Amino acid sequence: MKKLLAKVKQGLAVAWRYKVRTGVLLVILFLAAPKPVKSQFLDPCCAIMAAGLNTIGSTLSSVIGGGLGSILSIEQDISKFEQTIVWPQTLINQARSLVVNMQGLFTQMEGVMRIPVNSATLPATQQFEQNLLSGDPNQIAQTSSQYLAVYGNVPDAASASPETRNLVDMTDAAAQAAMKRAIEIDALADLELQAADQINQSVETAAPGSAPIIEAQADAWLVRANAYTQAATADLMRVRAIDLADASANVKNGAANTAAVQQQIYNFLKRQ
Amino acid sequence: MVILIDAVFGFFFALFVYLMFVARDWRQVLALTLAGLLVVALVSPPSAQAQASLVAAIQAVLNVINGSIQTALNAINSVRSTIQQMYESAVWPVSLINQAKAMVSQMIGQYRNLMQGIFSMNLKSATLANPIALENVMRNHQTNDLSAVTTSFGNTFGGVPTATASSPADRTMMDMDDALAMDNLKTLKESDAADDLALQAANNIEDQASQAAPGSAPFITASAVAASIQSQALTQKMLAAELRQEAARLAHQNALRKRGATITGDVNSQILNLLQRH
Repeated sequence: MKKLLAKVKQGLAVAWRYKVRTGVLLVILFLAAPKPVKSQFLDPCCAIMAAGLNTIGSTLSSVIGGGLGSILSIEQDISKFEQTIVWPQTLINQARSLVVNMQGLFTQMEGVMRIPVNSATLPATQQFEQNLLSGDPNQIAQTSSQYLAVYGNVPDAASASPETRNLVDMTDAAAQAAMKRAIEIDALADLELQAADQINQSVETAAPGSAPIIEAQADAWLVRANAYTQAATADLMRVRAIDLADASANVKNGAANTAAVQQQIYNFLKRQ
Repeated sequence: MVILIDAVFGFFFALFVYLMFVARDWRQVLALTLAGLLVVALVSPPSAQAQASLVAAIQAVLNVINGSIQTALNAINSVRSTIQQMYESAVWPVSLINQAKAMVSQMIGQYRNLMQGIFSMNLKSATLANPIALENVMRNHQTNDLSAVTTSFGNTFGGVPTATASSPADRTMMDMDDALAMDNLKTLKESDAADDLALQAANNIEDQASQAAPGSAPFITASAVAASIQSQALTQKMLAAELRQEAARLAHQNALRKRGATITGDVNSQILNLLQRH
């Protein structure tokens, strides 16, 4: 014991001798020593935290849980409304089967319109008829020569007056242009039938959200088809206009011929 | 973990004590002191919060929940309720959907049979055997008897004369005229059959519309537009046929004019020759 006391005294003496260093050590020890951990049971801080967390929990469940519950209920109502009233799956499937059924009708219609109607019996007319009914724009180049083989050429200058030749040439031109346009319109109509098939087939696999896009495309095709119909109608009107002009030219020629005959009779009588 | 931290701390503190006591002068003591303070500054844990600030933090969380979160949830709830109400009363009101379906059904009942009855009225007017046969075959909407058109047409309007009975030019023109007339009569039979199918398609579309939902209607509409394109294409084919027919009529008249001009030229030259001889 005495030895221990002596060692302590010696230590204190050393500490006193190096009091600055000892002081620094004490300060460092105080600052750097690990702090004790607070107990869950004895520290009032934890009790407060537990009570606080309980309150937060109950608040979360009443305020946020209640609010979310109301939103969920509304969302469920909306979902049910959409599934039963707006987009019922059974009616969507029913509409899809209508589209399939329509495709069958389209195929029948196209089949009916493809049945050949050729009726000519002579070689030249058979060839010309084949060209006119071909619906092949590449054959338009042969239309004029085949037309002339059937309906004849413009009379030469020695056989007819210039007025008659003009009339004949213009009328031939209008008739040939109309026949060529008919070939074009047939080809365009075939392409439209093909496009309508494609559109209808894509409707078969569409969703309610994508069907309006296809419908918009179909509308565009309809506008295009209307434009071609108008073009065909315009050509029909042209042919009829030339027909009218042709009839009028006949009357004019008749009047001119009558006047010429009158003049010749008058001249003949004068000579007598 | 705590023991390990204590052991590391003890080791470094003992090293620090040793270095402090073996330091030779005040400069080394000062350097060690500064090093120790630096270590303390770097590794010392943050000071613990007071109890009062913990209560305040919990209260702040509760305020956020009861304040901005509750307000936001109420707002979302209100917006969703408004959307639901708008769907049910303005966008897709069930009463108006049912009313639209009922209108489709009512119009089917009002018009379909009436129009079908008008459209299927008998238009035939021929009285003799051959014209009756031609009229029947022209108007029967069938496409499997196109050859009967040729036969009945020949019986009614006559065939192309033989090569000895008519000039080649006349025979060619008659054959072309007859061919285009028969082509169009056959095309019209095809068109009549296609019309029947188009009417069937229209009926199917209308039937489906009477049971449709807002979400299934776009399918029906898209298919109906595709059917309209088909119908336009068939109309164009008929216009093309009419165009051919009108053009052929014009060509026929013009061919007669050409022939007239040629004959007139021939007659003129013959008269001239005759007068010259005298």
